[in-house]
Amino acid sequence: MKINVDYLKRFVGLDLDDGALKELLAGLGLETAETLRIGGETVLDIETTPNRPDWLSHYGIAREIAARDPRLRFAPMDLSAVDLPVGAGVPQGDAAARPAANFAIHIDDPADCRRYSGCIVRDLKVKESPPEVQQLLVSLGLRPISDIVDVSNLVMMTCGQPLHIFDLEQLQGGEVRVRRARRGETLRLLDERDVALDEGHLLIADASRPLALAGIMGGLASGIGPATRHIFIESACFDPVVIRRGAHALGLKTDASYRFERGMDAEATLPALKMALLLLSRSQGRALKPSYFQDVYPRPQVRPAIRLDKGFPRQLTGMDVPEDAAAAILQRLGFTLRDGGGHWLVEPPSHRVDAETREDLVEEIARVHGYGHLKGEMPLAANPQLRVDGERGAVQRLKWQLADAGFNEVINYVFQSPEENGMTEPQGSLLALKNPLGRDLSVMKNSLLAGLLKNTAANANQGVERVALFEIGRVFQRRGEQVLEERRLAASVHGRQQKKDWRLPEEEFDFPWLQAQLAALGRRLRLELAFRGEAHPAFAGGCSFRVEAGGRACGWCGEITPEFRAACKLERPVFACELDLEALLACRGENRFRAWNRFPAARRDFTFLMAKSRRYEELRAAIESLRPAVLESFELTDVFQGPSVPEDKVSFSMGFTYRAPERTLTGDEVNGIHAGFTGRLAATLGLIQR
Amino acid sequence: MIDELAKEIEGARQAFVHELERIQSPEDLASLRERFLGRRKGVVSHLLVRLKEFAPGDKPRAGQAVNGLKAFVEASLAAALERRAGAAAGSASAWRDHSLPPSELPVGRLHLIADIQRRIEDIFLQLGYEIAVGPEIELEDYNFTKLNIPEHHPARDEQDTFFLEGHDDLVLRTHTSPMQVRYMLEHKPPLKIISPGKAFRKDDPDATHSPCFHQVEGLLVDRGIRFTHLKGTLEAFCRSFFGPDIVLRFRPGYFPFTEPSAEVDISCFLCSGKDPACRVCKGSGWLEILGSGMVHPRVLGNCGIDPGEYSGFAFGLGIERVAMIRYGVPDLRLLYENDLRLLGQFG
Repeated sequence: MKINVDYLKRFVGLDLDDGALKELLAGLGLETAETLRIGGETVLDIETTPNRPDWLSHYGIAREIAARDPRLRFAPMDLSAVDLPVGAGVPQGDAAARPAANFAIHIDDPADCRRYSGCIVRDLKVKESPPEVQQLLVSLGLRPISDIVDVSNLVMMTCGQPLHIFDLEQLQGGEVRVRRARRGETLRLLDERDVALDEGHLLIADASRPLALAGIMGGLASGIGPATRHIFIESACFDPVVIRRGAHALGLKTDASYRFERGMDAEATLPALKMALLLLSRSQGRALKPSYFQDVYPRPQVRPAIRLDKGFPRQLTGMDVPEDAAAAILQRLGFTLRDGGGHWLVEPPSHRVDAETREDLVEEIARVHGYGHLKGEMPLAANPQLRVDGERGAVQRLKWQLADAGFNEVINYVFQSPEENGMTEPQGSLLALKNPLGRDLSVMKNSLLAGLLKNTAANANQGVERVALFEIGRVFQRRGEQVLEERRLAASVHGRQQKKDWRLPEEEFDFPWLQAQLAALGRRLRLELAFRGEAHPAFAGGCSFRVEAGGRACGWCGEITPEFRAACKLERPVFACELDLEALLACRGENRFRAWNRFPAARRDFTFLMAKSRRYEELRAAIESLRPAVLESFELTDVFQGPSVPEDKVSFSMGFTYRAPERTLTGDEVNGIHAGFTGRLAATLGLIQR
Repeated sequence: MIDELAKEIEGARQAFVHELERIQSPEDLASLRERFLGRRKGVVSHLLVRLKEFAPGDKPRAGQAVNGLKAFVEASLAAALERRAGAAAGSASAWRDHSLPPSELPVGRLHLIADIQRRIEDIFLQLGYEIAVGPEIELEDYNFTKLNIPEHHPARDEQDTFFLEGHDDLVLRTHTSPMQVRYMLEHKPPLKIISPGKAFRKDDPDATHSPCFHQVEGLLVDRGIRFTHLKGTLEAFCRSFFGPDIVLRFRPGYFPFTEPSAEVDISCFLCSGKDPACRVCKGSGWLEILGSGMVHPRVLGNCGIDPGEYSGFAFGLGIERVAMIRYGVPDLRLLYENDLRLLGQFG
């Protein structure tokens, strides 16, 4: 809301410089977004809140300032000289009370239009507004057009009430009707746009056709032109929701609709009409007298008084304000108080459409008293039963572990392009946004991998040699009518393992490196992860694995397919994983004491050739099924292929640790067990001992 | 036949190299020497014995090849022994320069946003709050209506909302407050929670806007909770997070879900309002940081809590805003570009 400081000062006698004024306004909840100097005048662009439509005028701001300081008074324009039969509200349909003119105003549904006041003024000559009015309008960002049009704008900026002025000669049938549009009706608006209407739109119409979109914008045909002689001035109060729906449906937002959709004061229509007559009289150079006036106000607004217990302001805020001071604040804001002993019955002024509850009244008192006078204290509220969130701790540990291994955390948007969703689910159904910012951000992501790949490319293309990233975030999918969210942990590596350094091995990231990191993450959660070869659309054939923990599927890992990599202009391989964090956390192992065996262990090595056609998984399974009772553990220590190894074979070295729970095993005993066990193993898998 | 031998020699050589690389102890070294150079069973001896089988014309070449292997094995073992001895003796003679820069091992970082969120959570955990995390795709009812923002309320304009195709009752949450609704519907007071997480508004990305951002919102509901409790709590939080000398300024504000409502500024942590050219507060001395207020009685009622018996306060702050003012990140978009040059500076 633009406020011209000089104009504002006409309505409240205050003597403050701009800085102090801004400070005062801020204390009342009115932040100044911008201070402008226009034509030697100061204009403040003030941020108002949607609950206070009464602030959308110079009067509104002046009233606030006056309430803040008992020495100040709000002084609106003197309208006593304007001749309008004030108070002679004419109930709708009461023909007898209708002014004797061949004209009538009808409201079809009082729910759409709470009040409609209108008058006809004849024999005008369209002029330019006086220079000071033009200058004022320009300072407020409005374009002066003609004295008639300018008056409607000036009234709105002064007291907040939007007016609309029609060229009377374009009104047919001697009536103005507030009614819903009929499907198929059209209207050419003032901005020369043609709009198609339906029952959702509220119209001002004459006997035969639509004239204006009520509370939003006038029609071109009935607008004021240079040749206009007679006018009909509308000052009405429309229903906020109808105006808002109508404006939204057409994508329109005007000064009038902005005010009406926030709720206007039904009591303000007549003063606004009088102000219009006063201002127009000035520019026309004679006292104008309406030839017709009607005020249709079917259900005058009655607002129930709010009961405010005198102790409640202190109870809700802890503020230390004497009762009479609290009452005085409300009275200065225009509220009417009736003392009921332990409480007040408070009636808000008509322009305070927001004041409905006792909490609203407390806010008024606290706001004007000043929040700065409240002294902070810690609540002594009983703590609810504290739940220690072990999961949060576990996730934090995983993040730190990844960081320690050199991964950097990234955060991406939750939406991406349909193609990016296709990376993991080429046929998956998309969960699309109805109103995305663009196609690239139009679907909810089903995987974190595309984002990581994009981040990897952005960094690698900057020349970063080592790109190791991870992200923890949600992915989304549609299942029937439901939308499911799942928390995932994804990581990716690209490029060199280390910065180039003569002391460190010069190695590129590879799949075993990533796999080792995953296994370590698993161990952090006391989980043994297993990797099962299985195809996945994001991963290359031969290097695509399902990750399992305790037999439960909990993610995927592998090498990103060359196609996806090439699409991001990455030449070196990218290895990545995406894990279902909830599944991972759900099966994490327990921390509890297990006694260990104190008898000495004996280790025996076993080096052998195994056919390349076999997989380590088979070997491992055979060991598990043939394991002697005293075999405590085993480990793979070397895998070797070379000229000394036949083409179709691979050399493995393993270490086996034997230990009995209750005694020390003798060397011979261990040798016997080891020989028997490895013999059976060799026989089962066709191994050749080296 | 000689080709076969050459192949065998090459195999033996590679096997030797392979094993030499894995040597751990002097015992390993001795056993390797025995296996390759052992007089009776060593690999080299074995090959030498086979020389007899060669025709006289081939013998010299075959002998040369085997001796070549022998020399290689001997030299490699001698070098390995020397290295070990050198290492063991601290090798006073070897060249060392401890002023060389150390190798640079990779150190990963947590994202600034995530790290700030964690630190904020930690402070409230110490104050006895529980962390409640809710869905990012939320019921429109929880995101708006239950929070006293009915359909066609102008306050919805201020939170430009993303909607989902085919799900008219769902929105991408525009704040994390709907989690407070969920929590109130499921729990009886006293309630003391914070709900951190992502939120979404349909803003084109620019220096101060992002369609995706992070919030931490807090809620405390009990008997006798008043505005001064809110003030005390936020003072405690801001002093813990920004510094012990921070002063708070509460200004009247408007949020549909609180009444009274207040915007909260902190005094500038850098200049305390003393530097008219301060790069953080731009000379104003104040930084807008939080929104807050007493929970609107209608919100309590909507969530099954009797506003006649209970009252509560709520507050919220944007993590990106904290990142910008506390850490000087000049453009919000940088936080979502995930450029390692930014990520490496924080966390």
